[in-house]
Order: sequence, then structure tokens, then C-alpha cells
Amino acid sequence: MYGWIWRHLPGPFAVRVATATVLVLGVVALLMFVVFPWVEPMLPFNEVTTQ
Amino acid sequence: MGTVEEIGADENVQPPEPPQRRSPVRMTVRTIGELLITVGLVVLLFVAYEVYVTDWISAGKQRDATAALDREWKQPPSTTEAQRKAHFQGLKEGEGFAKMYVPAFGADYRFTILEGTTESTLEVGPGHYKGTAYPGPTGNFAVAGHRVGKGAPFNDIDLLESCDAIVVETRDTWFVYRVLPKDDEVSGWAAGKGKRARCKGVAPLGGQYTQVRGQEIVLPSEGSVVATVPHKDVVPPPDQQVGLMTLTTCNPKFSDRQRLIVHAVLVHVISKDDLAPGQLPDEMKES
Repeated sequence: MYGWIWRHLPGPFAVRVATATVLVLGVVALLMFVVFPWVEPMLPFNEVTTQ
Repeated sequence: MGTVEEIGADENVQPPEPPQRRSPVRMTVRTIGELLITVGLVVLLFVAYEVYVTDWISAGKQRDATAALDREWKQPPSTTEAQRKAHFQGLKEGEGFAKMYVPAFGADYRFTILEGTTESTLEVGPGHYKGTAYPGPTGNFAVAGHRVGKGAPFNDIDLLESCDAIVVETRDTWFVYRVLPKDDEVSGWAAGKGKRARCKGVAPLGGQYTQVRGQEIVLPSEGSVVATVPHKDVVPPPDQQVGLMTLTTCNPKFSDRQRLIVHAVLVHVISKDDLAPGQLPDEMKES
């Protein structure tokens, strides 16, 4: 999977490294700001009130 | 010669490789392996998010809430808005109305308490259980707070000792609560820890309140810990009520299996009019 992505990145080595870094950061940002905040309320970690 | 040799070498090395690379079994195993490593990294990232990133986000929100409350407290007391707040009337969900301090946790331990206990309110700071009392000589002022991430205001409340002060500041008044004796301290309180100067006004409660302790661990379903008389379904007449403050958070850390509860009793009320401007109650200097 990662090998396939790497082989399909265009340009010379340096450009590929830069593109790959941007891709990784993009995925991390998507997880941190969209996916995790959405998933979190459904997980049993942080209920602090009594019913 | 060199070129011929190179071509020959290429031909010798390359042919065995392509079939291996295209083998569907090899491809499948490799992809599954990569996916598993990815899932592991995502889970690690989630832990980092939960413990650190939510802290940063909440710190900003708490700062904004405190700044908004400070602005309100600077307004002249005659405005209807100020009057309403002073009597805790019509507080909206997520609206800050008081600050809490625990001198034992250091001078930098301060949080603005907001109205309500929804997820988005608790992200900003400790939240007041709607329907429970406000700071004062009667009723149970109950507050929930996160223990891990989201600013973790109640991270260390398991370390609160009996007689430790929890100071609540409102627009006009300071309320000093002290943690009640714990289970193993109740017998022999008067002759033991109860003699300390700091424990003045703190003693095992009587009457309806006999079973209330400084700290307890309960199931999430024990909603009665925030009742006027914790664990009791009775509301005594106001003159028989004790001013309590109750903190609730999750227990153990990183779990919602139980709730950690701290009960404190009101021992001192100081009007800000009786203090010089900017002067803090003596209890704030404890450590």
C-alpha cells in the first residue's frame, strides 16, 4: 500500500519526500480535528457525571 | 564490454523479482501488515489527542470563559445583568458564574465554573449540575469535571485530604468549603485530626448527613450523591440543611466504570465588601 503510493508520487526524490510529508500531515490533521472529536463522545473514557 | 556486462547482470538479477512482487499472496499479506501498523499508529495518535491535544483546546476555552467572567465582574453592580448573576438567576448552559481555587494544589489552580454538565460545557471547565444548589449556606453545590484531558480540572481530586480548602469566588462573595473527614478518620476525629487549626468547623456531620464522607467511590448510576442530602431522598427544611459542595469525576483514570466523589462542607463566608480591594481570604494562602 505505502509502496504503491510511493511509486505513484511524481517527481524526483526530494519532491516525493515533500509530497509524502504533506500527505502524512494532512491525514494527521484530519484525524485530530475531524475524526477524533467525532469518535470521542462514543467511547467510554471521559464520563464524569452521575445520572 | 562494460555495457554488455551490465545488461547481462541486469538480466541475471531482475527476472526472479517480478513474479515475487506480483504474487497475490505476498501482496495481500503485505497490505494487511501495513494496515495493522497503520491502525496501531492511529490508536497511539488518539491517545496523544485525548491526553494532550484536548488539553490545549480546553485551556484556550477556559481562558476565554475566565476573561468573559472577569469583564462581567467589572461592570457596575447596579446593572440588571449583574443583579441576575449575583443571585444565580437564569444562568444559561455554558455560562461562567464562579471561580474555584484549591490552595493545596498551588496558587495557579483556578477554574471558572460554568452552568450545566453537557459535554461541550465540560470541555471548557468544571460544570455545575443544573437543579442543585448554588454556593451558599444551604443545599449541595455539585460540580462535575474531567479527570483526563479537556483541561483535566479534577485530575488530582483523589489527593484532596480532609480539611483541605476548596474556595469558591462569586461576584460579591468568597465561599470557603473544606473536605469532610474520610471513612477511616471519622472515629476519633475530635481527639485526632479534628484538633488541627485548619480543621476548625470540619467534623463528621450529624442528623440526616451522618453517612456523608469526604471521599467516596460510587457507580455511575448513583445520581443521589448530588442530592441536597447525599444518598438520601429527603429535603430537610433550610434551617436543618448544611452547605455542601460535591465534586464528581471519573474513576479510575481513563475509565468510566466508577465515579470519584468528594464532599466538602461550607465553613466560612466572606463578603468582598469586608476585604480591602484585591485582598484574598487567608485560606487562599494555605498549601
